[in-house]
Amino acid sequence: MIQVIKPGLETTVQDYPGRIGFRNQGFPPSGPMDSWSFRLANLLVGNESGAAALECQYMGPTLQFEQDTLIAITGADMQAKLDGEPVPLWQSVLVLAGQTLEMKFSCEGIRAYVALAGGIDSVPWLGSQATFHKAGIGGVDGHALKEGQALSLKTTDIDAATAGRTVAEHARPQLGDGKHWSIHVVLGPNDEWLDEQGIDTFLSADWKLSSKSDRTGFRLEGPELSFSEKAYNKGPEHGSEPSNIIDQGYPVGGINLAGQTPIILVNDGPSMGGFINPFTVPTSEFWKLGQAKPGAVLKFVAVTVDQAQQMARAISNTCSLDNIKTMGV
Amino acid sequence: MIFEEPRFSPGGDRYLLIEFGDEMNLELNFLGQALAAAIEEQQPAGIIETAPCFASTLVHYEPEILGYADAVALLSELLASLGPSADIELNSRLFYIPAVYLDPWTRECVQDYTAKINADKQPDPDYVAELNGLNDAAHLARVHSGTEYWVASLGFWPGLPFMMPLDPRCKLTAPKYNPPRTWTPKGAIGMGGASTAIYPEQLPGGYQIFARTPVPIWDADKRFPVFENSICLFQPGDRVKFVPCSVDEFEHYEAQVAAGTYVYNLVEYQKFSVKHYQAWVQSLDFDQTF
Repeated sequence: MIQVIKPGLETTVQDYPGRIGFRNQGFPPSGPMDSWSFRLANLLVGNESGAAALECQYMGPTLQFEQDTLIAITGADMQAKLDGEPVPLWQSVLVLAGQTLEMKFSCEGIRAYVALAGGIDSVPWLGSQATFHKAGIGGVDGHALKEGQALSLKTTDIDAATAGRTVAEHARPQLGDGKHWSIHVVLGPNDEWLDEQGIDTFLSADWKLSSKSDRTGFRLEGPELSFSEKAYNKGPEHGSEPSNIIDQGYPVGGINLAGQTPIILVNDGPSMGGFINPFTVPTSEFWKLGQAKPGAVLKFVAVTVDQAQQMARAISNTCSLDNIKTMGV
Repeated sequence: MIFEEPRFSPGGDRYLLIEFGDEMNLELNFLGQALAAAIEEQQPAGIIETAPCFASTLVHYEPEILGYADAVALLSELLASLGPSADIELNSRLFYIPAVYLDPWTRECVQDYTAKINADKQPDPDYVAELNGLNDAAHLARVHSGTEYWVASLGFWPGLPFMMPLDPRCKLTAPKYNPPRTWTPKGAIGMGGASTAIYPEQLPGGYQIFARTPVPIWDADKRFPVFENSICLFQPGDRVKFVPCSVDEFEHYEAQVAAGTYVYNLVEYQKFSVKHYQAWVQSLDFDQTF
């Protein structure tokens, strides 16, 4: 068992790819926002890449271990210390019963991932352990970790010899300064509702990531977008505002235009609603969203569906044991 | 209008949207649901899931199995194989849901919104009645409860049904709140556009609200047998009939729900035939009112 001494700001159990197959009942996939770092953390400790692990946001937890295990921390740097000794990121580390892992505020990136050998044991909800805390399902009691809770792991059987494995430098996501991000988008499904100028404005502007952003949506602050004829000349059932449309299914990653505020619908976002999504952020860009600081400047670059699929494939190929190196090799 | 050919557009690298038309026409939803049923039955490789809505269906596909162009071709073929929409028959359960119309809880919520956010907001039931040419709020309650509702889709929140009246004589429209409410009572029933919804939880919202049910429509704890296979009460293609009740009856059901003894009232043996439905609509006298 692992005792939660301090829960951190919002630390949740997630698995990858999350809760898939229930969108027609209104469920989002949940799962880790930066699934690149998440998958590598699991591979480091010998797990399947999608095994249940912790997502820590802004400030990580303090955990006390009552069993020996292997851990790996990836993603944001939350100055993790094990009994006071700094813990390297992107590396598997042996933890002994009685030791305490302490994480602080992130000094680089926003979301850190803590994988534990065997994966976290919790009751799957609709096929996934991912926490969807707004609805109180998945994870530990449906919510972010709380002080005094305990985590159990699926195994106590560890191979201590695999401690010290690292992720090859080139296989890690590069966070840069964290303040400027270039994010690919695919036009559609509702790009026809903007006019040419509206699309140009969106693709050329500097967008500021609002502090009112969380795992349901990332709000963007920037210029007003102009609409096409289609947004004005429409039946009354669409609603009266130009960005209103007859309620429709939302893709994960849809850039939802509610009035004039674009909101990127992310892992815990709504599955359906009555606003247009002129652009969609593809899978390959989600790690950037997961690591972007509020206040960061985002610029959007249009790519084709094929290009977006290739980029996602490239990241999946990177999250492979080929990029996990044994110490000293 | 109903498009001659369904229109496909990408939603990133894993989703696509199929639009059947750009109006709220039940027939478009029947198409989306028939496509979803065909996919469920045939399980074509690479199609992960679908989410039908009023006039469109969102499809989640696996690009490692099916490229975008391949997915569009596969779905076009499946749609073509469904035949004329009049021939569609769908499994459809009918739920009887008790509801207090013009109830004290939604009234209090609207008053709270008026006091804090928008002093000009007319009470929802009066506003919707006036917009739709009805005599008063009581008339709205009669018309709104006078029809079965078709569950076109679930979304926005787990288990939240987007529904349309099957009886065209009960068709009402209402704009959404601007700005939206910060809270809505759990179980509130309301309308936006031409759609009716039930709020599964206390949630923010934009629909005009004028009734409330004591019956849970989702249950993560599965306290009632009806949730055995799904934690959401409804699925697309179900029908809902609101049964107006008093505040006393509401409290009676509420106590039963709390005690775990409430019995969900539903009919499970019916199929919905688009052809029969259309014939019935044709036969109606639209001058009749409720």
